[in-house]
Amino acid sequence: MKRDIEDATSISAEDLGKLTKEAAAEATPSRARIMWGEFKADKPAMVSLFVLIFFILFVIIASLFINTPKMIQTNLMGYYAKPFTPEYWLGADSGGRSIAKELIVGSRNSISIAIGLTIISSTFGICWGLVSGYFGGMVDLAMQRVYDFMMIIPMLMTIIVIVTIIPHYNAITLTLILSIFYWMGTSRLIRSRTLAESQKDYVAASKTSGTSNLKIIFREIMPNISSLIIVDTTLSFAENIGVETGLSFLGFGLPMGTPSLGTLIANANDPENITGYWWTWLPAALEIIILCLSISYVGQVMRRATNAAQRRGNEKN
Amino acid sequence: MSLIEIKDLKVHYPIRGGFWNRVVDNVKAVDGVTFNIEAGETYGLVGESGSGKSTTAKAIIGLEKATSGSVMYKGKDVTKGENRRKLDYNHDVQMIFQDSLSSLNPRKRIEDVIAEPLRNFEHLDKEQEKLRVLQLLDIVGLDADALYKYPHQFSGGQRQRIGVARAVATHPKLIIADEPVSALDLSVQAQVLNFMKKIQRQFGISYLFISHDLGVVRHMCKNIAIMTRGRIVEVGTRDDIYNNPMHIYTKRLLAAIPETNVNHRDEHRKHRLEIEKIYQEQQSTYYDKDGMAFPLVKVSPTHSVALPPHLAKEFEQQSENEGVNV
Repeated sequence: MKRDIEDATSISAEDLGKLTKEAAAEATPSRARIMWGEFKADKPAMVSLFVLIFFILFVIIASLFINTPKMIQTNLMGYYAKPFTPEYWLGADSGGRSIAKELIVGSRNSISIAIGLTIISSTFGICWGLVSGYFGGMVDLAMQRVYDFMMIIPMLMTIIVIVTIIPHYNAITLTLILSIFYWMGTSRLIRSRTLAESQKDYVAASKTSGTSNLKIIFREIMPNISSLIIVDTTLSFAENIGVETGLSFLGFGLPMGTPSLGTLIANANDPENITGYWWTWLPAALEIIILCLSISYVGQVMRRATNAAQRRGNEKN
Repeated sequence: MSLIEIKDLKVHYPIRGGFWNRVVDNVKAVDGVTFNIEAGETYGLVGESGSGKSTTAKAIIGLEKATSGSVMYKGKDVTKGENRRKLDYNHDVQMIFQDSLSSLNPRKRIEDVIAEPLRNFEHLDKEQEKLRVLQLLDIVGLDADALYKYPHQFSGGQRQRIGVARAVATHPKLIIADEPVSALDLSVQAQVLNFMKKIQRQFGISYLFISHDLGVVRHMCKNIAIMTRGRIVEVGTRDDIYNNPMHIYTKRLLAAIPETNVNHRDEHRKHRLEIEKIYQEQQSTYYDKDGMAFPLVKVSPTHSVALPPHLAKEFEQQSENEGVNV
């Protein structure tokens, strides 16, 4: 008495096109549309998004036109030049170097390091947390001991030691060194959500449908914790700008002669600069504040877009 | 030969404690369950919550590791993972879950939900796959515009039907239905149940139907097993269980079915209290000193009951006299 699915329904291959069109008309808006609607509903976030995109594009493109070796040469004629002059838009520091140019190249360096660091450390942390949380048991135990070990290492001190003993390093090696120490927070966060998520019935349903573990982890569970991933990644991006900047401020970040936001802010170490020559450090400080604020606004909108209950935007437009 | 044979299945969970985190005791969620499911029939598994019926189902489908015992399918023990993979076991055995919302991935469109088993087992091209999904939606009575929607946009009954569509997608031989309607209201229950029966007639599917609702089980199942505390206490046909219950637990369960006829309200209440009294009095004799049910004794060719030793002996003698093969 066994019959095939075809026999039990009147739908045949001819109806496919028509029915697909019908379904498409009723389809729920895609993720990108929802997110765009959300940005439209939140004006400060919209402004932040444009500030971020414009600024990042600007520093990357503008820095291509700046001759860095020439820029960092000392120029006695420009000793603490005042800002807002045709030659020195934002003045110059004690070496007569243009703050505006240093700011552009420094921002590019700092932002690229922050982006690289965020991509590497978040990817690793997310994978670590997902695998650890999904498999549980002995796998989880072993992976969490590695995590514990990484946590007890005094991070800043170890980075400073590594940076000091490595003879030649540049932006890329610095990013890699930092990445080793910045994945743990993400991994723990993701693990805790994965533990809860992998107990849900849809994971069991996927297992009984014959889906492989890797597919379940990255195609079933990961989309369900995407809101957490997005928020965590944007916030850690803001934080990672601070990591490199902080190290450079202390003098252990990028090698000498490579400008960054941190080295610019380090000008404020000198009391004379703080009182008399505000233009040497204020622009960089303001830039970091504006960048971090913008990122957190954008992150909030992304979080709302991934959580239907918090949405403000009208999905239909 | 039966479609699937479950033999002495045990699922124990260790309780760890003490200084070295040793195993100090076991929770016997399922403790020696034996039954067979024939092709094309609906087998009912009934019991209170915590009696181990869901764990039994999960062990059969491979979501839970069996401590001991075997589940034989096509002559292979499918409690072992490699046998399951070799047989494409999950192509033939599927599951319908109790909670229709949490069993559908909230981030996937209905098309992807139903196509999931197809993608793993059938390897159709895109057009064929979409067509198959549309046909499945038609079979479960949903329109084509469900295709690109998300699970939360449907009602409970519709979601459960999507779950059924996913379960029948690969043309399975057995579907394990773990309380498929207990989260639905009554009108929708009937809808989903009738629809499951319709599919069974059309495709010749067997069901392992798990429920604590005896009315529903009576409607659906030919053979029924009553479970309590991880063991089966009574097995028989629908007729055996409903008209001739012999274990006190079954009697009590049947007396607890609400009666809608108000004219006999007092009678019904009296009957229920009487059963409850007997249950309280005889409880100790029907379970051994650890609180576990006794082994099953055959009282008729189709009917087995976990009777206490003194009653069991009587029946054994009786059946010997009658020459019935036990």
